Amino acid sequence: MTSRRTFLTTGAALALAAQHPLLRAQGKEPIRIGILIPLTGATSQFGATMSRAAQIAAEEINAAGGIHGRRVEVVIEDDQSNPEAAVRAARKLIDVDRVVAIGGSYASSVTSAIAPLCWESRTVLATSSGADSITKLPHQGYIFRTSPTVTLQGTRVGDFGIELGCKKMFFMGPQTPFAQSYIDILSGIFSRAGGTGAGLIYEDKKSSYRSEVDQALRTRPDVIVLGGYVPDTSVVLKDLYRAGYDGKRIGFSFGINQKLVEAVPAEVGEGAYSLVPSASVNAAAYKRLIAKMKVDALDSYSCQVYDHVNLVALALADAPAAAANGTTVRDHLRGISQGAQGKVVDGVADALKLLGAGSPINFDGASGPLEFADNGDVKGVFFRYEQIQKGKLAVTKVA
Amino acid sequence: MFSDIVQHLVNGLVMGAVVALPALGLTLIFSVLGFINFSIAAQMTVGAYAGWLVNSQLHWPLVPVLAVAFAIAGGIGMLGDRLALVPMRRRVSAHTPLMVAIVSIALNLALENALRFGFGSDLNSFDLPIARDVQFAGIRVGPQQVHNLGIALAIAVLLAAFFTVTRVGKAMRAVADNPDLARLKGIDPARLSNLATFIGMGLAGIGGALLAIDTSVDPSTGSRLLLIIFSASVLGGLTSLSGAVLGALLIGVVSEMALLVISPVYQSATAFVAILLVLLVRPSGLFAGASGVRK
Repeated sequence: MTSRRTFLTTGAALALAAQHPLLRAQGKEPIRIGILIPLTGATSQFGATMSRAAQIAAEEINAAGGIHGRRVEVVIEDDQSNPEAAVRAARKLIDVDRVVAIGGSYASSVTSAIAPLCWESRTVLATSSGADSITKLPHQGYIFRTSPTVTLQGTRVGDFGIELGCKKMFFMGPQTPFAQSYIDILSGIFSRAGGTGAGLIYEDKKSSYRSEVDQALRTRPDVIVLGGYVPDTSVVLKDLYRAGYDGKRIGFSFGINQKLVEAVPAEVGEGAYSLVPSASVNAAAYKRLIAKMKVDALDSYSCQVYDHVNLVALALADAPAAAANGTTVRDHLRGISQGAQGKVVDGVADALKLLGAGSPINFDGASGPLEFADNGDVKGVFFRYEQIQKGKLAVTKVA
Repeated sequence: MFSDIVQHLVNGLVMGAVVALPALGLTLIFSVLGFINFSIAAQMTVGAYAGWLVNSQLHWPLVPVLAVAFAIAGGIGMLGDRLALVPMRRRVSAHTPLMVAIVSIALNLALENALRFGFGSDLNSFDLPIARDVQFAGIRVGPQQVHNLGIALAIAVLLAAFFTVTRVGKAMRAVADNPDLARLKGIDPARLSNLATFIGMGLAGIGGALLAIDTSVDPSTGSRLLLIIFSASVLGGLTSLSGAVLGALLIGVVSEMALLVISPVYQSATAFVAILLVLLVRPSGLFAGASGVRK
């Protein structure tokens, strides 16, 4: 009871303090950026590194003098991989912490749930979710997405199939919101290239996909795209092997990954390709970040969270005269990330120095060059093309 | 077209064979104890893990692997029954079978999560070579799947012999028929319940290990198929052992044949529509009373 009362009184005091003009001394109060990430639950595999990356970004900005003399503070909240918990956390970030922007936001269901709260409160939402529907929301420019969309991933898989010299594509995947769009996108790519495309959507949780495999092989495909998750993809791969299929197999990062390699006998997975959204592994920003985190490699999503904090801070730094709020971030973000006249820069300290001197910048991050289309979708993201070779995932190229 | 039909028939039999053993176990337990033990799904997973451990660590071949899966799943199944379900069964009321069944669902979840806690959520693979299919008059047949089908049928025949020839088997049928009368005749129902649970869960363990060779060893290996196992058992009349096997094969064949005309997404719907139709015509199941434990 005591803790609840303490929470309520401090919460109320904070809310009052935040509104009282005298207490809100400009230049003293830190600029707060909310980071809403899955630290627990089904999507939490990158939560810990996302959290660390966000803190490193804030430390770097503050070490470089902050934004117009104000410190930057990241407020990290756990979305519990659950949209309902995410909405509560987002409300707290917006109403109590008065953040200018929320970054992180990984699962598409979480992002879809909190998006209306953000644009209605004029808070920028920088997200690492993939569902196409997110940037189709009426977000008035407040949403920026640093992750490739589901459609873009499908397109890349199709282009890769063509590049491998394949003509006849067949898609096999479980019932998901994007399965049918994958079939349509991939079939379109193959028929435009003079080939053919078809597909079937199966039921997951089956112990065998022999009949589905038979149906696929009747079209005599030279490439089969696997749109499933690890458990069903491992069974499909086994049945393809038994059926003697020797064409190409391409999957997505959520289906063909290290877990799958361990889940199937080596001969079954050998040669299968996988497409993985990648950080910008050759960029200086990426190399500095992994050195600071003391890791050999970092997933794209943690790099995106690092970039979210930097983008928001630099957008505010670009507008010395304007109030530090979400609308200012929205209006100045493209100015610092993709200006044609801007000097290309990849470190936040250099970027702040240039902005202080009044010269325009084009900021590139650890996850990619950070250029955004009008709807908020990122352009020019990187993918890692991996192949299972001798029982291990090997990177064949990054593009 | 004809070869397509035969191919789907073969695929359906193979699917059904995987379901047959756990369905046998479920039916056996229901026949003797009078309730549905849903924790059978977790025991399949237990069998899968037990078999996987001796196969991947000690490199045991298939048949001893299945024996281990049988013994461990049977043992843990009996332990779970004694700890969680027997106390419930003691308080006899009109709702007891339903309450015990609900508690068995809880037991199933507890076991599944214990496995998740112990082994993690990762998928594991048996260290057995995967055989390519053999072409036979235009029909693809998997050697391993034929093997599975053979094992399932052999075990069903063995069980049938056990119940008709041996004294213990006959005693078990007596308990199933009338526990009070059996006790008056000097049969100890508690001991036989334990034996039925051990055999039933052991069968589930073998089924789980065979299933995991085709799919993967993970905490949800068994629960993914629970509904279809239950359906096979219901279709077979819930008390007929041969009915459970035939029910499983029928569900496999119907759902695979349906793929010839409808999209694979609706596959399980077709199996359940078939069950609905069968039960409308024969409410006690296709094979109730045909043969098995209860006459």
